[in-house]
Amino acid sequence: MKASNGLLKEMWKQRAAYLFLLPKLILFILFIVIPVFWAFLIAFQEYGYSGSKWVGFDNFIKTFESETYRVALLNTLKYTVITVPLNIILALGLSTLIYPLGRMSQSFFRGAFYLPTVTSMVIIAMVWRWVYNYRFGLFNYFLDFFGIPPQDWLNQSDTALWALIIMSVLIPPGVGIIMYLAAMGSIPESLYESAKIDGANSFQRWWRITVPLLKPTTLYLTMLSLIGSFQVFIQVILMTGGGPGDATETVVHLIYKTAFRDLEFGLASAQAVVLFIITLIFGVVQYRIMYRKGEE
Amino acid sequence: MKHVKSVALVTAVSLLGVGLVGCSSDEKKEESSANWTGKITIWDGPRWADDKENKYHWLEKMAAEFEKSHEGVKVDIVQVPWAELNDKLGVSLSGKSLPDIAPIDISGNGVNPTFVKQGAVEPLDDYFTAEEKKDFYPNALEAYTKDGKMYGVPAAMTVHSLLLNLDIFKERNVEPPKDGQWTWEEFTDKMKKLTYDKNGDGSIDVYGFSTYIKNGYYEAWPFLYMNGGRSLNDDATKFTFDSSEAISAMKALADLKAADKVAPKEMGSGDVGGTWKAFAKQKTVAVEPWATWAISAAQGEKMNFMVASYPSGKAGKPVTIGGVGGWMMFDQKEDGKKKVVAEFMKQLSATEQQVLSAKSYGTFPSRISAMEQNPFADNVQMQQAQKLTEQAVMLPRHENWKKIDEAIQQQLQLVLNGEKTPENAMKEAKSKVDALLK
Repeated sequence: MKASNGLLKEMWKQRAAYLFLLPKLILFILFIVIPVFWAFLIAFQEYGYSGSKWVGFDNFIKTFESETYRVALLNTLKYTVITVPLNIILALGLSTLIYPLGRMSQSFFRGAFYLPTVTSMVIIAMVWRWVYNYRFGLFNYFLDFFGIPPQDWLNQSDTALWALIIMSVLIPPGVGIIMYLAAMGSIPESLYESAKIDGANSFQRWWRITVPLLKPTTLYLTMLSLIGSFQVFIQVILMTGGGPGDATETVVHLIYKTAFRDLEFGLASAQAVVLFIITLIFGVVQYRIMYRKGEE
Repeated sequence: MKHVKSVALVTAVSLLGVGLVGCSSDEKKEESSANWTGKITIWDGPRWADDKENKYHWLEKMAAEFEKSHEGVKVDIVQVPWAELNDKLGVSLSGKSLPDIAPIDISGNGVNPTFVKQGAVEPLDDYFTAEEKKDFYPNALEAYTKDGKMYGVPAAMTVHSLLLNLDIFKERNVEPPKDGQWTWEEFTDKMKKLTYDKNGDGSIDVYGFSTYIKNGYYEAWPFLYMNGGRSLNDDATKFTFDSSEAISAMKALADLKAADKVAPKEMGSGDVGGTWKAFAKQKTVAVEPWATWAISAAQGEKMNFMVASYPSGKAGKPVTIGGVGGWMMFDQKEDGKKKVVAEFMKQLSATEQQVLSAKSYGTFPSRISAMEQNPFADNVQMQQAQKLTEQAVMLPRHENWKKIDEAIQQQLQLVLNGEKTPENAMKEAKSKVDALLK
């Protein structure tokens, strides 16, 4: 009681700041919090245009029994497990290369690598569709150069998901680079100097000082990347439509189809809730592992 | 008159069971609020362009005329690309913010039973007398009828047909099929001759045939029907695409790419735009199956082409698949508004509008009175396509059709990719479809 009184007092003291936060908070509640709660509620209903019926856990049972959901989940996991670490490693590697450069060059590379982040994924997907085109694509042009026969990347079950994974890895991780560069800037120079005196070479300095001190940033980026990967959708709908067969069916694409094609909003909400729980578990485990390591 | 007879015959042939159109009372509802005023929202996809490349000019003109004759009524047009129409409707349905009128794509299978089941579509029996209904071809009306009620107005029909690039035929000295009719053997023989290395670099540049496989699209399906196979039985209670007739046709189609090498590697992918481009722009494919909209599109490209039947297989007769486009009215709260909206739908699907659409948009009228005006008198290719309507069958109508369709199309993609045998693919499809038919 006392604590909450204290908190309220503190909030009142800082009321000007809270007032500035209010518009954003209202929007957040309206467009994020309420729909999320609503989705949880719908997941327990057979939700229809003319009325809804409470069906308890039926939608969840259907989700767990669905072979299609299992396939979509496996594809999503495969995509996530491969793209998340690679994106993080790539961001760290590129930041390490950019950081020592002069101010002008650093600004240039920062901008260049951040550009794809502000480019619509729709545009990127269209470009990559051309890259993977069987007849005129850049990829097959390179393969041809090395005498390797062309592949129909997006239309074969054994290459389609890999094509999406490669695309995701090769899009520069702009946010990661910006954040890593900012974090690198806050590492005290004195640490590197004392390591130098102790005889550490540049790789050792990077491995022993930079990487450990970037742990919080890495953790944050991993979480962000993990959530993003679990929600892979635009690439799928624009490039493969989940095919061939169900080779690139992902959970969010399946949720989209269940809701807006089959009009089974309750089932789609249950699928979304299950995805939320899985993402949460992954996130918590990830946090525990990395945070502990960071503490050590 | 000859045309009328032929189309009348179609309708008889293509009925999936007899079209039991619900008999509604001929008396129209007495309207207490006949003078309703307000806004009507209508969605539509792009249709034929005017000289300013505006593909909504027809609907805009219709709306202006309707506003003129109905003072105080405002028609609000929302432009929706055809490919996004169904998803957008789904989103609107979930948000309970549906338009008053929306179109049904010409390649479609009539009114979506799921919408009806959800109670989102208004029945229109009160606004169409039995006499008025008689003007529609029975199979067109059947596509908009559920449980004896009329849920929408059929406005246009289409069939799938093969389009043949006659320049490539000429170049390869290949005789096009006489009267557009050929057997499977004749077809494959010609496809082999049409496949060649144009620039002499040692690799094939021009292929005889190509098509695509995608949920909700049926260009390839008449090939699978040619030996007598069908996806479901007549009353849509049993999966039948695993019959020997269907399997043999699937194998034949897949062999065009795998064994005969007369189709490009992309055949069977879901790339609609790429498939069309290969035929109409790059001219690297001689024969492709399309719905009739492609006839006016190919005419627009100034292509030298003809329309032919799908090849006939063991069943002995060529077969094709038809579609019925139209308009549906969504849930209305006021009787007065409902009446006005129905009047607008009537105007959109009136005889003269269907004639105009037939001439400009490459569709067949759903009204007998429109067909009687012989809209294709000076359009040879549409006349050729019209003959195909006699071979048309409609797709099965089942409330889970979209899921059934997906289960089948996913497997067909794998068959044409050479990743699965037709037997294994259909076994997999059957396991999914059986659950959906329960």
